[in-house]
Amino acid sequence: MTVSQSIFHHTAIPFAVLDEEQSFIDFSKQWLKEFDLTPKIEGKYFFEVMPELPEELKSDINYCLDGIEHRSYTKRLILPNGDLVWYDWKISSIHKDDMSTPSIMIILEDITNKMREEELLVKSQEVARVGGWEVDLVKNTIYWSKMTKEIHEVPEDYIPNMEKGISFYKEGRSRETITRLVQHAIETGKPWDTELEIITEKGNKLWVRAIGEPEMINDKCVRIVGTFQDINKRKQIELGFNKISERLSIATKTAGIGIWEYIIPNDELFWDSNMYLLYGVKETDFKGVYEAWESCIHPDDIEQINGEVNDAISGTKDFDTIFRVILPSGKVRWMKGEATIIRDLEGNPIKMIGVNEDITDLKTTQLQLLKSEESLQATLENSSVGMALVDEDGRFMDVNQSLCKSLGYSKDELLKLTFQEITHPHDLEKDLSLLRKLIQGNISTYQIEKRYFNKTGEIVHVLLSVTGARNIDGNISHFISQIVDITPRIKSEKKLKGLLELSTNQNNSLLNFAHIVSHNLRSHAANLTMISSFLTDETLGEEERKDSLSMLSRASNGLNETITHLNEVVQVKLETDKKLKPIHLSYITQKVLMDVQALIEKNDVQITLDVPKHFEVKGVLAYLESVVLNLVSNAIKYRDPDKKAAQVSLKAYENGENIVLQVTDNGLGIDLEKHGKKLFGMYKTFHRNKDARGIGLFITKNQIESMGGKITVKSTPLVGTTFEVILLKA
Amino acid sequence: MDILGTAYVVDDDPIHVFGMQLLLKKIKFSKEVLVFRNGQEAIDALLESLGKGETLPSIIFLDLNMPIKDGWEFLDDFVRIPHHNREKVTIYVVSSSIYPSDEEKAKKYQVVSNYIIKPVNEHELTQLLGNLGCLND
Repeated sequence: MTVSQSIFHHTAIPFAVLDEEQSFIDFSKQWLKEFDLTPKIEGKYFFEVMPELPEELKSDINYCLDGIEHRSYTKRLILPNGDLVWYDWKISSIHKDDMSTPSIMIILEDITNKMREEELLVKSQEVARVGGWEVDLVKNTIYWSKMTKEIHEVPEDYIPNMEKGISFYKEGRSRETITRLVQHAIETGKPWDTELEIITEKGNKLWVRAIGEPEMINDKCVRIVGTFQDINKRKQIELGFNKISERLSIATKTAGIGIWEYIIPNDELFWDSNMYLLYGVKETDFKGVYEAWESCIHPDDIEQINGEVNDAISGTKDFDTIFRVILPSGKVRWMKGEATIIRDLEGNPIKMIGVNEDITDLKTTQLQLLKSEESLQATLENSSVGMALVDEDGRFMDVNQSLCKSLGYSKDELLKLTFQEITHPHDLEKDLSLLRKLIQGNISTYQIEKRYFNKTGEIVHVLLSVTGARNIDGNISHFISQIVDITPRIKSEKKLKGLLELSTNQNNSLLNFAHIVSHNLRSHAANLTMISSFLTDETLGEEERKDSLSMLSRASNGLNETITHLNEVVQVKLETDKKLKPIHLSYITQKVLMDVQALIEKNDVQITLDVPKHFEVKGVLAYLESVVLNLVSNAIKYRDPDKKAAQVSLKAYENGENIVLQVTDNGLGIDLEKHGKKLFGMYKTFHRNKDARGIGLFITKNQIESMGGKITVKSTPLVGTTFEVILLKA
Repeated sequence: MDILGTAYVVDDDPIHVFGMQLLLKKIKFSKEVLVFRNGQEAIDALLESLGKGETLPSIIFLDLNMPIKDGWEFLDDFVRIPHHNREKVTIYVVSSSIYPSDEEKAKKYQVVSNYIIKPVNEHELTQLLGNLGCLND
């Protein structure tokens, strides 16, 4: 059978008809065009004309010639020259009846270009991780492409529905947004393109770009098609970048840091918004050239800055400087500038990128600090109060003139010393213990009255205030000591106290004297009056008169004796101002013991003597002798006859600026509760001893006091008595 | 007159004691005059008399300034004697002290009837005896 050429010849379909021998019977113009052939192929063998076709096509032609009705296929073929070709074919057997010769019609298309595009699309979708989807609102079905499913991390056989699709969006903003957009699209036909977060089937959080295009028929949405893209990586980077740049912007803004960039060859200067704030310049007023910046700089700093910029560009020195700018308001601000030079491969400078920071506050503080440091130094130097910085070991780090003056050392000498070395030993521990408390942080400052020794060894009384200075870690770095020299005050206080004591003593003596006069002299006077009245009384007998006469002589003797005693006391008082001389105490004690040797032996008294030979006291020789003699003879006189042996011990020891002589006995003792007050009074006796005259201790006390000393007593009846004579060290 | 029983003279001054004894004897002040050289001796004697059930002295002449136990201490001890009879004892402080403070202090003791400043004379003692006679009536 023949096919009329006229029917298909002009169709735009590349087709051909082959006979049983697989030779061309007919073909369309499009065939010739498609395969670049001429009409001369008619009658020629198909595979001779077109050798480079897939094997599958050969088989399909054979199948159809054998009677199979249709074959169609799409096949990719790589040509010997390496080109990739896609063919798509459809073959139909033309069999009118069993008698006719079989022939076939073949439509063959080179779909290489089309396939390439499709392949690219798929590839690119894969690479871009773009999936497709479609919602049929009429049939209420939903379709997800393979990639869409992959993005959702669901299996390939997953069957989505509208509700499930929405539920993948992250709760909150993402889900609300997509619901609203879909709703809106269905109602108004408005497409969407948005970036939202989903939670995949496996629970991963992803950013996706969702695009939806509704299709409307008669104002009714029938279908929405769209894409679904995994943009997580990009989004993360973007979000990260946003965060960083925001942070940077906040940081630079709060720190008052401006960033600038200068394109060197073009003389173009770019400022960020902070720079405008820092310079107080309006963005519109800034010309964006080097000169525009230069015009902001303080005239005194321009030369230096230009030099430093040139040095930086030439690579001599990094740009890192401080300069002043003048704001349009006329205010001067301090700027710190730093910059880096960016160079091309040849090392030519292209750009200078840098920062400016307003350091006016810092600079002001620095200046103030400098000023206050200067004034502190001046205060330290010129203060009338002694001041010192002392390190943790007590070494003087710095001292002022006032302290040097108080202590008599030069500054250099003091700086080689510690405060411990010049502190009076009795005051050291209380100072150190307070210092320890300060170091431990229990107290922050302390004030004490203490004594130093000056260079010549004299005592200097001071009022010391110590404050701890702490370093940045909170540990003590050093101490600040203020030392007020109160020696003159103490001296005058002592003098005053001495005067007061003296006048009190004198008052007491006067009072005592008044008592003595009233009691003792008056009693004698009264006796004399009474006796003389007897002598004139004529009624008395001869015997009584005679007795009265003898009584008269006793009374006048008593009066005489009392006056002698009083004179002794007055002598002691009068000679208070006598110059005291250094006297060896042991010399006195030995002499006294020799003087009472007979008494000691007679009464079998055991004497213990412990007075170091080198002890020297300030005193009057005669007084000291009398004092010791009185105490020793008292101790013997008032011995306890019930005890086997009377014991008297003389012992001396040092106590600060004093030497103390202790006279202890094991005698009768005195009830001090009863007699303590009267013990050193005149004519006081406490024992039934016929030698007791009640004058010894009274004079002893006066003598001791006239030598600047004191006497104290401790006693227990029937156990013994201890007198302590406190004398001044020579 | 001789109306009183016993009189105590408590004084450590032998001259004063001599004078007192002479005067008391002269005006026949009491049947008996006992002398003590300090407060302790006098207290001891009082306690001994009480212990024996004897009558206490009608009058005590008391000096202030004495060794061992002075007049003040004697007074302190005396008021503590737990016997109502002591209320019949009249005490005169006899002192050479012209200190007003001594006289004031002495008068604070209820048992002290008067304060006599030495020297004591015959006229004074006679008057005193007269007063005591009135009281005893």
